[in-house]
Amino acid sequence: MKRSNVITSLFLSVSALVFMSCSDDDDIIIDPVVEVPDTYSFERNGTSTVSYDGQTTRILMANELKSSLLDNTKTETELLSMYAHQEGDSDFSDADLNASSKNLRSKTAASRDYFSANTTEALAIRNQVDAWISAQANDIFTNWNTNATVGVAGQIQEAGGGSIRYVNAKGLEYNQAIILTLLGGVMTDQMLNNYLSTSVLDEADNIENNNNEITVDGKSYTVMEHKWDEAFGYLYGTDNKDNPQFGQDQYLNKYLGRVENDPDFTGIADVVYDAFVLGRAAIVAEDYELRDQQAEIIREQISKISGIRAVYYLQQAKSSLANDKGAAFHDLSEAYGFINSLQFTRMPGSVSPYFSRTEVQAMLSTLMEGNGFWDVTEATLDALSVQIAARFSFTVEQAGS
Amino acid sequence: MIKRTFLALFTVVVLMFSCSSDDDASGGNDNQTDNFDRSAMLINWADNIIIPVYEDLNSKLEILAAEKEVFMAEPTPANLANLRTAWQDAYKVWQYAEMFNVGMAENINYIFQMNVYPTNIQDIQNNIESQDYDLSSVNNNDAVGFPALDYMLYGVGNTETEVVEFYTTSASADKRKIYLSDLTDRMQTLTQTVLEDWKNSYRDTFVSSTDNTATGSINLVVNDFIYYYEKGFRANKFGIPAGVFSQNPLPDRVEAYHKYDFSKALALEAMNAIQDFFTGRAYQSGSDGRSLADYLNSINGNEDLSASITSQYTAARTKINTLNESFAEQVKTNNVAMTETFDIIQLAVVLLKVDMLQALDISVDYVDADGD
Repeated sequence: MKRSNVITSLFLSVSALVFMSCSDDDDIIIDPVVEVPDTYSFERNGTSTVSYDGQTTRILMANELKSSLLDNTKTETELLSMYAHQEGDSDFSDADLNASSKNLRSKTAASRDYFSANTTEALAIRNQVDAWISAQANDIFTNWNTNATVGVAGQIQEAGGGSIRYVNAKGLEYNQAIILTLLGGVMTDQMLNNYLSTSVLDEADNIENNNNEITVDGKSYTVMEHKWDEAFGYLYGTDNKDNPQFGQDQYLNKYLGRVENDPDFTGIADVVYDAFVLGRAAIVAEDYELRDQQAEIIREQISKISGIRAVYYLQQAKSSLANDKGAAFHDLSEAYGFINSLQFTRMPGSVSPYFSRTEVQAMLSTLMEGNGFWDVTEATLDALSVQIAARFSFTVEQAGS
Repeated sequence: MIKRTFLALFTVVVLMFSCSSDDDASGGNDNQTDNFDRSAMLINWADNIIIPVYEDLNSKLEILAAEKEVFMAEPTPANLANLRTAWQDAYKVWQYAEMFNVGMAENINYIFQMNVYPTNIQDIQNNIESQDYDLSSVNNNDAVGFPALDYMLYGVGNTETEVVEFYTTSASADKRKIYLSDLTDRMQTLTQTVLEDWKNSYRDTFVSSTDNTATGSINLVVNDFIYYYEKGFRANKFGIPAGVFSQNPLPDRVEAYHKYDFSKALALEAMNAIQDFFTGRAYQSGSDGRSLADYLNSINGNEDLSASITSQYTAARTKINTLNESFAEQVKTNNVAMTETFDIIQLAVVLLKVDMLQALDISVDYVDADGD
């Protein structure tokens, strides 16, 4: 991707506020200069200060989990262990992942802003993922060669000798529900509602330490710089940070690329990248207002990915619903997962998602009513599309093609 | 890498003239921009809360030690019952002491020697058999204190008779009695040490350290208080057993697991201790003195904060009251009620750790280790 050459600098109005008063402790406030590099490269004393290993690790774990969910030689226990990996256990093909102390489950629905005082829902979401993983092994792998029909789990092939999809009794591919819930519950939630949040960025002495360039013991970065990088890592952790290619993972990086390729949304990738760069530069320059403005831009754009892709798949399913159940069920499964991910989005200027968990659950039960995908109607898909698009700044037509 | 420097594009010069002396638009709170009497608060904490708590705890532990002597001399079910009662009484008072990790308590790792759970049964058994142990060793933090006594008084048999047999019939009976005795005596000695230090010297140092620096008394105690609320209270009593930090609920991690039906009673004592400290309520007389609530009320713009915190405590207590007497049982039968309780408790963490600390201009001296 070609980097945008112009980084919007309108934010950089510098206000010199001179207070004159009878009290003697007023200072003349001068904003420091913000130096904005072309790419996400930041250094201190010649050493890079950018670090997000933990995010890369989790994305790689999630990638491997995704492929294993369609490997019917895996057991339920093996799949669950990939999700809730314990340090040293041989759950992955990659020794580095096995050695890691990190896992996906503990970071599912785990953001400071949304879940620190809502562990009840957090555990419900994690348990739901566990249940889907178990069902993949117990209901899908065991019916690998059964033909799926109404009320019967099994395989269903897309028309014209297309891909074989493995669905439950209502037509849902559990693997799509699982991975897109992780896209929302891990990547989106951690990025938007944890690492870009003032509750995390400004925690404890972070501001004071960042102002004084007090770095983490043995590291080149301040805590605040690192938190921002961790948000960055959930999108670019397996990509080239200076020249993103997209499609480098099965999660946000992949789907931001997809949205970018839709002419209605071209440019979104630069907007997101520029905001990450400028926000990080603002941290270096101790300009926290500018930083938070960038966080809001990222929140809006990343949230849109879930909204756009949900509408896109709902609309795509319409054309195949009558004559190509395999293709339709695949689209609907993606839609199902993206709708579920909406509860982790973040409306700018708020501490709320675009759609609450209750709203999301209502939409999902509408989709799964009766025999689920087997008898869902175009009217239902349109109604859901309209409901989603109306809350975002795009139309059903823009997202749907 | 090309770097571009953006200099001021727009310069807005705002001149503000003000002659009011109490201008505090930033909400910042430098040393004593408020008129709050910090010294009076520290004196209330020391003289009406902390020292009386240690005195009561010490006397309860003296009773425990005395009952232990009676039981050692005559291990009968009746004497066991008295010993158990003494343990319960002391454990309840402990709930008022655990939040204070300053002075001698901090120096000797007092809290780690009094209430680390789950206790390690293997370590306890090894200590008993070897008869070669240093109870002050860090390795024995999970083999001493109230949780170790929980095991020794309830966990070594299913019935009262079986527990008495543990101390009477086996070849190891004498060794077991000695360990029981050493545990009990050590808890009392440690508490006495902490109490005497407060009474003999630390009290005056403590109340005179009124400055708002990292080592000032208010700073230290407020940090301890919030840390206790977040870790000792919220996480240890609720979050860990409910599985908030693990893949599955862990019912055997509750406080006083072997007594089994005592965890709720202890949590309610702790809840009272937390609220009493926040509102400055004297431990013995119950009368109100200078407190964190008063301090917040004295700062412009924070009048609602102390009320919010107090009402959150009330909500937490109400919810705890609906739980099973045994948190282990609660976790096994309806863990959602347990996580809901955790969530209500957590809401006050934000009020305390973010809003209150900001208002008081106090820095947190610990950070959750939840990053990557």
